[in-house]
Amino acid sequence: MIEPHPFLAPDLQSKEPKELALLSIVSQSFFQPFSVEDNLLVILTALTSGSGVGFNRAMLFLTDGDRLRGKMWLGPRSAEEAQSIWKILSTPGIAYIEIIEHNRSLLTLEADSLSRRIQPLEFSLTGDNLTVPVTALAKNEILLVRDASREMLIDPRFLQAIDVEEFLCVPLISQNEVLGEIVLDNAFSRQPIQPKDIKLAGLCGLLAANYIFTATLHRKMIGMERLAALGEMSMFIAHQILNPLAAIGGFTDQLLAGPADETKRRRNLEIIRREIQRLEKIIFELAHFLKVEPKTPAPFDPEPEIRAVLQALELKAAAEGRELTSLIDDRLPPILGDPTYFGEALRNLIINAFEASPPGGRVEVTAERKDATWVVVSVKDEGRGMPPEVRSKLFTPFISTKDRGMGLGLLYVKRVMDACGGTVEVESEAGRGTTFRLSFRTREEGRPNA
Amino acid sequence: MNKILIVEDEDALRLLYEEELAAEGYDVTTVRDAEGALDLLGRERFDLIVTDIRMPGRDGVELITQIVGLRKDIPIIINTAYQSYKDDFMTWAADAYVVKSSSLVELKARIKDLLAR
Repeated sequence: MIEPHPFLAPDLQSKEPKELALLSIVSQSFFQPFSVEDNLLVILTALTSGSGVGFNRAMLFLTDGDRLRGKMWLGPRSAEEAQSIWKILSTPGIAYIEIIEHNRSLLTLEADSLSRRIQPLEFSLTGDNLTVPVTALAKNEILLVRDASREMLIDPRFLQAIDVEEFLCVPLISQNEVLGEIVLDNAFSRQPIQPKDIKLAGLCGLLAANYIFTATLHRKMIGMERLAALGEMSMFIAHQILNPLAAIGGFTDQLLAGPADETKRRRNLEIIRREIQRLEKIIFELAHFLKVEPKTPAPFDPEPEIRAVLQALELKAAAEGRELTSLIDDRLPPILGDPTYFGEALRNLIINAFEASPPGGRVEVTAERKDATWVVVSVKDEGRGMPPEVRSKLFTPFISTKDRGMGLGLLYVKRVMDACGGTVEVESEAGRGTTFRLSFRTREEGRPNA
Repeated sequence: MNKILIVEDEDALRLLYEEELAAEGYDVTTVRDAEGALDLLGRERFDLIVTDIRMPGRDGVELITQIVGLRKDIPIIINTAYQSYKDDFMTWAADAYVVKSSSLVELKARIKDLLAR
């Protein structure tokens, strides 16, 4: 038997131990498109709501270089408020956005009293005479502090801010990297901190630390990818520009070196002119590509657009010895998109298909209604097809199989399709040609009354 | 007269190199790709090779390596727009690396140096 189960069971809260419910909700939140701060807020909320772990207040410190800085302090103003927050959190199928909105407003409300009190606090993570809260990080241990005012090893500013006798310090450390600390107390209920609460707080601490670690790593990785893409782009542009520049410089130097006969002078100037045009084209293509900003997709009739593109390219097809055929359903419904970019994307695909085709090869453009939701426009060539290694890099900028290609054409098509909620698919087999399929949403989709 | 083989896929640059190096007193032969170069190298002997590295992902650096493998004691100059290949170990076998620019001064100087050795 094969039986599917949801990650967050609807009846989890009523039957299972609350600790399990708490961990379930905290881990669920990691899969939501929340910001790092929002996710940490979920953890703090879990720690401070009555039915959760049951601390009254939770403060969060994050490391910043070699310092530990106060970030936020979440503390419901009453046990009832804590209870109501946890109820929202434990509702099966809850809208996470609502919880976050709730937490945010809570934090804004509390900003005057709680968060604002710890935000100016910062402690050095290095030095000889470490005091609480840094001690917990130095030892990588959860510290339970009782009779705080009688302890010498507590930072006086910290004690003044927290103003309770009993509190728990949970270090946030992952892969030996000190990331922050959560400090918990029962300022309102005055209940002693229980061993079972310490265990759960520890678990939440591990989750929070791992989460911060992964989130930071992810951000670094995206930064590195961007940098790599930028490096690739500059290298590619340098290459595209240096070749024409070398020719322009060389042929100019020839003319400057001494008298040349009229034929050579003219030839050099023509080469120089041509190479300048090439540079111009490179700049134009780059600018054109960077400029894709389709408007909000609006319904339009695709047929006249397709016919206009086909008509404009017929001369080119004839001049290059390609056959351009089309099969356009004359009852196409309106599709969602931007007609200008639609035409440009289709043009790109057809020109690509010409270039991929053998002399006399046929390029076929079809447009048909696939079902109630989609209209598919496809461009098919009779070229050599693409090996997998080319196919996998189709939409990667600055990678081209053409001598003078910028590697931007297909990425342009993809950006246009993304912007109108459509898709682009490729079917290609070595030796059997390639088909590009653009799928557009019809106007009816999502708007049954339209 | 020293014989130089130029491998360059840009038509304008092939013409430019041919004229400029002939004016310097070399016997210049040009081909547009590495396959053509390999073919010629099997039949003729040259005193120096100047070659571009083509677009990555096509025949790229490997063909350079083949040329390097074919030569016995012919100096090779890599002449390309790609600055970054300079650190690629595949290109260490070359005797000089000249990044393309609007001036041929450096390329000519390197050719002269290598042929004088």
